[in-house]
Amino acid sequence: MSDQHSNKLKSGNTGNKKIGRREFFKTGLRAAALISLGSATGYLLSKSTLDDPVWQIDPEKCVQCGRCATHCVLPVSAVKCMHVYKMCGYCDLCGGYFRPQVKKLDTGAENQLCPTKALKRTFVEPPYYRYDIDEELCNGCGKCVEGCGSFGNGSLQLQINHNICTNCNKCAIARVCPAGAIIRIPASKGYLLKK
Amino acid sequence: MLYWLFHDPSRDLYVYTPGMDNPDSLDTRAAGETIVIGEHFEAYGQYQSSLKAGWPQFRGNDRNNILLTSSPVNLNWKTKEPQVIWSAETGEGHAAPAVFEGRVYLLDYDESLRADMLRCFRLDNGEELWRRWYNVPVKRNHGMSRTIPALNGKYVVSMGPRCHVMCTDRLNGDFYWGLDLEKQYGTEIPLWYTGQCPLLDDSIAVFAPGGTVLMTGIDCASGQSVWETPNPDQWKMSHSSIIPASFLGKKMYIYAAIGGICGVSAEGEDRGKLLWKLGDWSPSVIAPAPLPLNDNSLFVTGGYGAGGAIIRISRNGDDFSAALQAAWLPHEGLASEQQTPLLYRGYVYGILPKDAGANRNQLMRYQQGNLQEADWQSGKTLRFGLGPYMILNDHLLVLNDEGTLYLFSLSGKEPEELHHVKLFEGQDAWGPLAFADNYLLLRDSKKIYCIDLKP
Repeated sequence: MSDQHSNKLKSGNTGNKKIGRREFFKTGLRAAALISLGSATGYLLSKSTLDDPVWQIDPEKCVQCGRCATHCVLPVSAVKCMHVYKMCGYCDLCGGYFRPQVKKLDTGAENQLCPTKALKRTFVEPPYYRYDIDEELCNGCGKCVEGCGSFGNGSLQLQINHNICTNCNKCAIARVCPAGAIIRIPASKGYLLKK
Repeated sequence: MLYWLFHDPSRDLYVYTPGMDNPDSLDTRAAGETIVIGEHFEAYGQYQSSLKAGWPQFRGNDRNNILLTSSPVNLNWKTKEPQVIWSAETGEGHAAPAVFEGRVYLLDYDESLRADMLRCFRLDNGEELWRRWYNVPVKRNHGMSRTIPALNGKYVVSMGPRCHVMCTDRLNGDFYWGLDLEKQYGTEIPLWYTGQCPLLDDSIAVFAPGGTVLMTGIDCASGQSVWETPNPDQWKMSHSSIIPASFLGKKMYIYAAIGGICGVSAEGEDRGKLLWKLGDWSPSVIAPAPLPLNDNSLFVTGGYGAGGAIIRISRNGDDFSAALQAAWLPHEGLASEQQTPLLYRGYVYGILPKDAGANRNQLMRYQQGNLQEADWQSGKTLRFGLGPYMILNDHLLVLNDEGTLYLFSLSGKEPEELHHVKLFEGQDAWGPLAFADNYLLLRDSKKIYCIDLKP
């Protein structure tokens, strides 16, 4: 077998073009530059998303005026009641669930404070009841939050749900909030719940 | 058309009816539960006290939260700031102590033993002298203990969270008798347990169980009921306590039950007779006791949006009647959620609840004849919580929720804050104050504290 034939066979076996040292370094540098650029872009993008301001309610300032339910641009407000369970007393008589001066502590519609019945009550064991929020039904009116804060531990709190909020440049609720409770916070903070 | 025929637009609608929260087995009494009141006792030391003063029951000697003493008291705190001289760990709760001749009595709940525990301490140094207890399961529900024992020279009468009454010897803690109001009278234990502090009138312990009787008097010597007031309207026990008072020449026991307010004869042959009742004002939760205002009217208040009301009592021969003179919401006048307001020299003092609008949690003063228009208030920068207050020698002491004690002078035209001192890092310091022999007793949810107010 001649050398020529032997070389053909070799290249036929690998099927690759031989890469020179210069080409190897050039390709490596290109790849490194691309990876660096991608990482930097990803970092900047992620940083920019986390630090972008979003609207949120400061529960320390909120006065439960009811405007969150009526002034959001969405058909049903993005403001929802959220429950900080570790603050809850799990009371039978819950100021957030029952109307003031209610005579019977049961689930009859006439006894409930929530106009949309978004607050659910479940018996745990004597004397405790758990209270959960059905977010689909909650319209952010804040009646339960007011009741809970007036008579209980304040575990029910209004917050803007970022999965629903369109993050308008001028939040329509912030413009009418009498307490200045709607503020911008970095997206990385997300929610401002009292603990 | 088919859609119209077969589509039910109401299929996603629910009718909210009672029972949707599955309130099964609400009975707090565990099956087969046996509670032996007064079962256990331990003594730790002997003590002969030379101290003679006392704060023998809820709201003191005269059940009005006022103490005027001729002996000198340190109320010049700028010069000599009071310090805690002793403290004692307690179970979580708001039960406050009573004092009698140098001894402090506290109906505690011991969480490790799961027991109502009557504890006796020395007033001057806090040394525990004895404790008597009985096992009774109680779950934490915004604290457990809530009541103040009642004392006279011989007896201590206490009532635990689940309405177990115990009568013991004041000095050595010997057990005399016990009574389970739930078992005896069908009492319905109030939400967050009972807050009713026993009343000791001579040697008759007076309770308002609700259930089969509205009120009853128990002879401390025998443990037997000597009179009972029927309860035809099935009014229930509230968190409020019975107040003895005289109206229109008749001594009576006033009680704010769940269902209405009543006056029961407290003297003579008709002792225990229902003199009058009024169901027109009946909040679902009442903790403050009624406050007598003058010879024929009293003030009642409650939390959870109840506000306040004035009840006028009338007499025609031996017949009494009562009528609602005025009622208002918390933002319209004096109201209180837990503490009983007090009447001192023509003014009524109280701290408004959280639902009182702009005046929430402020200390307010009203003229006795006008409880809807404050003539002084502590202001936006000085708000309090649910803590107690009392009058001591023309001064008002107010404790906030976190253990800061405020001192106001009442000698001027308006109350004047003289000083305040942070006594402890407390939480929920709601138990009423007690003062005797220059010692002031306070508590938060986990401890009782004693400060010395000797000059």
